[in-house]
Amino acid sequence: MSKHNALIDSLATDLQPSGRSWNINLLASTWLLFSAAYVVIVAHVLGPIRPEAITQLQNEPRFLLESLLGIAAITLTALSAFRAAVPGALSRPLIAVTAGLIVLWILNYVAGIYSPTLAPSMAGKREHCSLETFFYATPPMIAAFLFARRLYPLQPAKTALLAGLAAGMLPALYMQIACMYEPVHILKFHILPGLTVGFAALAVTFGWLKLRTSGKHQAQ
Amino acid sequence: MAVTENAAFAADEERWSTLMVSAQAGHEGDYRCLLGELSEVVLHYLASRIGPQHYLDDCVQETLIAVHQARHTYDSSRRFRPWLFAIVRHKAVDALRKNQTVQNTAERQRSFEEVETGNEQIENGVMSGRLINSLPLDYREAITLTKIVGLSTAEAATHLGISQSALKVRVHRAISKLRQMMEADTL
Repeated sequence: MSKHNALIDSLATDLQPSGRSWNINLLASTWLLFSAAYVVIVAHVLGPIRPEAITQLQNEPRFLLESLLGIAAITLTALSAFRAAVPGALSRPLIAVTAGLIVLWILNYVAGIYSPTLAPSMAGKREHCSLETFFYATPPMIAAFLFARRLYPLQPAKTALLAGLAAGMLPALYMQIACMYEPVHILKFHILPGLTVGFAALAVTFGWLKLRTSGKHQAQ
Repeated sequence: MAVTENAAFAADEERWSTLMVSAQAGHEGDYRCLLGELSEVVLHYLASRIGPQHYLDDCVQETLIAVHQARHTYDSSRRFRPWLFAIVRHKAVDALRKNQTVQNTAERQRSFEEVETGNEQIENGVMSGRLINSLPLDYREAITLTKIVGLSTAEAATHLGISQSALKVRVHRAISKLRQMMEADTL
């Protein structure tokens, strides 16, 4: 035990207050709120919004429901991402429900190919909606990374994937209001770039972990 | 008996939570007390799950360092044990993955014939640790030979009569299975 005692001594000596922990749900909600506001503002500033989108939200219950489904999926993904950065905070049921909602949200658009929620139309088409989706997601993703780094993600890859997906799904969802409504277009140019952000986040994290590991080996 | 155990369980939970909150405020004495208790609990937990392996002490130390680095993430409105054992499980699986035969060089260089006669050691390895013992035979053999007995991949593969890549797959799956079992395992 003396080996452990020496370590405990070194860890406890001159212990500095670490401050009270953040409320993880509050942190996730704050991130989500600011990120959503940012996406909406940037989308409005950089291009016109589909003129009849708000009326459609009011008059088409299925469109409202699928938008709410998207909001629920994004909220749970964000919550899971932040919880994944705290040891023991992410439960299996939460991750299962989150995955289920994401799949359901995407399947809704696949079903829309055969039975569209709204009459497919080119009205409101934005020229570079796929690029917009990708780039609008980048600042929220970086913000989520910075928050996660201040926590203690035991599985950084899982945290990064969830954070990237939450960040990517935000503009992917809002493009249904900002851009044209046509299920194949939505899947190809809104959803796919949104999901790509999640996998890009995963790739960046793997690269960073590899660099960190090789740095440690060199230091040894 | 069960009532007494539950009361002790709850008392530990509450005391560790209080000590950690105090440590978050910078109280050295409480932190020392907490880490001292946790080192014993973690050592006991690991020894009973994966057996008395030579790297358990290192694993306990890694866990204590991780607890130190993650202490700001503990939220006193949540239970302490899930927070702690998420770290312990992660470090245990990490140690199993990284464990590259820390046996001495002479032991490493022993011939395969000697290994053949050293089946008693292998059996001891298999018998140690409740979780390792409950792995399917293929996985148990693979993880025991490589991570406990300390054979190289080539040696263990030859011993089991399978290819090296098949052995690596078995070891990988065994570790994944162990992780799942540890997650499902309650203290």
